[in-house]
Amino acid sequence: MLSDSMSKPTKSQWDFGELFPTEQTRHVLSVSELTTQIKRSLEKQVGTIWVSGEITNLRAQSSGHIYFTLKDAGAQLSCVLFSREKVSHRELLADGQKVLLQGDVTVYEARGQYQLIVRAVELQGVGVLQIAFEKLKAKLAAEGLFAPERKRALPKFPQRIGLVTSPTGAAIRDVLHVVQRRNPGLEIILAPCRVQGEGAAEEIAEAIGRLNEFNSRSSRRESAQIKNQSRLTSAATMNLDLILVTRGGGSLEDLWAFNEEVVARAIFESAIPVVSAVGHEIDFTISDFVADMRAATPSAAAEIITENVFASREFVSEAPALMRLRVRQQLERAGEGHEAAAHRLMLAHPRRKLDEWLQRLDDLQSSLARCGRQCVRDGKLAVQNLAGRLWRTRPAQLLRQRGESLAQTRRQLVERMRQQLRERRHEFQELQSRLRLLGPEQVLARGYSITTDAATGKVLRDAAKVKAGQRLKTRLKSGEVRSVVEG
Amino acid sequence: MPNPAKTTGPNSPARPNIAFEEALTKLEGVVESMESGDLPLESLIAKYEEGMALAKACQQKLAEAELKIQQLEKAAGGELKLKPFPLETAED
Repeated sequence: MLSDSMSKPTKSQWDFGELFPTEQTRHVLSVSELTTQIKRSLEKQVGTIWVSGEITNLRAQSSGHIYFTLKDAGAQLSCVLFSREKVSHRELLADGQKVLLQGDVTVYEARGQYQLIVRAVELQGVGVLQIAFEKLKAKLAAEGLFAPERKRALPKFPQRIGLVTSPTGAAIRDVLHVVQRRNPGLEIILAPCRVQGEGAAEEIAEAIGRLNEFNSRSSRRESAQIKNQSRLTSAATMNLDLILVTRGGGSLEDLWAFNEEVVARAIFESAIPVVSAVGHEIDFTISDFVADMRAATPSAAAEIITENVFASREFVSEAPALMRLRVRQQLERAGEGHEAAAHRLMLAHPRRKLDEWLQRLDDLQSSLARCGRQCVRDGKLAVQNLAGRLWRTRPAQLLRQRGESLAQTRRQLVERMRQQLRERRHEFQELQSRLRLLGPEQVLARGYSITTDAATGKVLRDAAKVKAGQRLKTRLKSGEVRSVVEG
Repeated sequence: MPNPAKTTGPNSPARPNIAFEEALTKLEGVVESMESGDLPLESLIAKYEEGMALAKACQQKLAEAELKIQQLEKAAGGELKLKPFPLETAED
């Protein structure tokens, strides 16, 4: 082989060995053979894997196959999802969607490209959590985990409760605060666990299981426990009345552990009634649905648990006074007959009646006196009023006033008549002069005359129409001339 | 939910150790009978004395002002252990 000859140090520098080695020493592959080798080793070495990344450049073909590229900050991977693969949420795949893919790495020989044949898809991100939530909810509902008839009533006066939450969270603070205020006698057994992040769901489920185990064991070991725990000597047993599973508010992801199936199952299997209080009022988790009771917040849960003891405080503090009152009332009722008679007797005493009448007399006397004084005052006022009115209406003055106004009116009447007369006269003269301008007198005055036929009185306008012997009458400015037409 | 262990426990007949729930229920009964029925004076006084003792027992239970909280832990061998829970870390 080539390498053997090159490694010999004794060879001269001119010895280049076999420049054209024989065909038999070279192992030549066809492209197909090489590709097949690569494909085989890739499939063997990598095989079926899970890979996460973001979808980009997605192309859905009419064949139903979906081609896309999966990328992260540093690299890209060609992927193909064949139409025959039964994948949930196929329709939700889109550019930008973060996914977790399961598949086989292989080589597409025709192009010399390696690619991932996708077998399973898990969507990641908030929208995906929503889908997972609805799916699990539907599944557990179908199994009867939320059935109302399964819900157990909480003990009215719980003495000892199990608490499943983080020992350092806001929820435990809220719960302890409310319990301290409303029922400090309540005993709490905390099963600490993480309430968010990877593995939190398993821890919550384990904590619920731990409390159940403690509950069932404690009944067997109760005497030993009480001896060791001097603080608990008053407790008859170490049984738990209920378990509170809780955490404070947070994002959907923060609360997610309470939406996991393992928690739902643990609550469902708990022999002790469970109260679930996760997040704020608006947050509903799967654990809320499975639990025997859901409370809106950790504080609300603590209030529900302590409600009856807290409410009884008032009654307990009032009961002694109530009972004392009852006894006193009973004693008083026994002496009641005597007292009532004495009272009635006192009411009917004649001295009392007399006092009453005397008082009435006093009243009447004083009101009479008051009335007299009032009458006099009223009369005086009325007289003054009338005198004033009389004085203001003296008749002489009235007469003078009326006389003056009469004379004035008369003067006005005469004056107005004169005025009218003057105006009419003036109008008349005006009309007369206008009439004169229009009449024939004015024309005649300038030397014209008007000739008429004496018999008919018709005005003559054409000399040709005048006949001989016709009698005419001519009017001048003053007087008229009678004439006969010559032949 | 009824808790049989509480009401039929070995200590329940003893007055000072009576459970709060039992004492409260009895007290309610006593007050109710005193209020409604026309009891003869003698039995009224007897009821009164019983009620006062019950009220005192209830008040004592309510006056236990110290929070009792313990941590339940599981040892490596699966043994359950109760440990005191440090309240300071949780209270602020």
